[in-house]
Amino acid sequence: MIRNLAGLIITAAAAAVLFAMAPGLDVPEELHGPAGYYVENGLEETGSVNLVTAIVVAYRGMDTLGEVVVLFSASTAVVLILTLIPMATGPSRPSPVVELTARVLPGAISLFGIYVVTHGHLSPGGGFPGGAVVASSFLLVLLGTTGMPGSSRLLTAVESLAGISFGLMGFWGAMILGQFLNSTVIPGGTPGTLVSAGLIPLISLAIGAKVASELSGVFASYRKKGGEA
Amino acid sequence: MNYTAVFYWSLAVTAMGLVLTGIWGVLTRRNVLRIALAFTLADTGVNLLLVWTGFLPGRGAPIMDGTVSSVVDPLPQALVLTSIVIGVAVAALFVVVGVLASRKSGSADVRRMKELKW
Amino acid sequence: MSPELLAAIAAGTGVMMLAAAVAALTVKKLISAIIITGFVSLSASVLFFLMNAPDVAITEASIGAAASTVIFLWGRGRIGGDDQ
Repeated sequence: MIRNLAGLIITAAAAAVLFAMAPGLDVPEELHGPAGYYVENGLEETGSVNLVTAIVVAYRGMDTLGEVVVLFSASTAVVLILTLIPMATGPSRPSPVVELTARVLPGAISLFGIYVVTHGHLSPGGGFPGGAVVASSFLLVLLGTTGMPGSSRLLTAVESLAGISFGLMGFWGAMILGQFLNSTVIPGGTPGTLVSAGLIPLISLAIGAKVASELSGVFASYRKKGGEA
Repeated sequence: MNYTAVFYWSLAVTAMGLVLTGIWGVLTRRNVLRIALAFTLADTGVNLLLVWTGFLPGRGAPIMDGTVSSVVDPLPQALVLTSIVIGVAVAALFVVVGVLASRKSGSADVRRMKELKW
Repeated sequence: MSPELLAAIAAGTGVMMLAAAVAALTVKKLISAIIITGFVSLSASVLFFLMNAPDVAITEASIGAAASTVIFLWGRGRIGGDDQ
């Protein structure tokens, strides 16, 4: 009772704070500051048609590197806890509908995921959603079988290689052009085609591979019994 | 009735309402998984609010394929991409630690999890 | 899209999301709460698309509605028992 009352009072205070700042939010007429610069110069400087991918990978590449580190540490912690502490009860046999779907669909889903990853600079998408789609196709395969996933070493190897290659590509930009994660080390290409935008497709590939293998590793560790290496 | 203003402000009210519902849920619920769900709801609300601050009505999506002349602000969208991925990582850790704590104390009620012995 | 249609979709989705969020925290069964939270994430993806943010919409739909729901379902499978 006291808990509910205190919760309501604190929520009402938070609501008062939020709505007190509402009159200060008005619609700006044009984009100022860094956003205006990115909108005007993004296409010429990076060659990527998708401005959000240009910002995430090229202009604010350091933030993406930090996010990759956060995702890596969280997934490593989850897999570590689930490996050391036995928790699983063993999988039950899936129904025939799930079994049939798990044989037919994962190819199409993975193809769509790879398309989203590699066309990150041309259409909405990029490394993160594409990697999540590929991981969900892996989850479908997991749900359609009853055996243990046997490829966790391969997943760990792919994840580590993708992370290292992201850093190495940044250093490549630093060695040639003097700026970490400068995406114009690979020149040429007309904007709007697949081969363009410098390093951005390669970095998207690295991010997509890393996110896909991380999430797949987390889903696979849910299936394992735990208490084994 | 100015329908564009209704559209614009209903988005903000939805996002703020989600954040407040999430805060209320974290404060008043007893099951540890429900607290994790409320946290995820608040996270979704904050992401909505962030993208809303960069939204200018009447402009197009930030993909410059030659036909779009004025775009919405792409900077909050880039930040929210990062935030969504970090939100799922935090949810995964929250759930795993919650399951561990409930196994150790015997029930999923947070009022029973009082053994913070260091 | 016409302004009336946009306003109707945004207001209707907003009311539905807020009602679903309160319902997710008050229903008795945990598995219903998890699925309702996945539905709120999916509606947020629709709102992101209405705000001209297709990248964020795809990311929220694939990560927030799919991966997050799987994580919660695993947790519910380990805890069992439903209460507030």
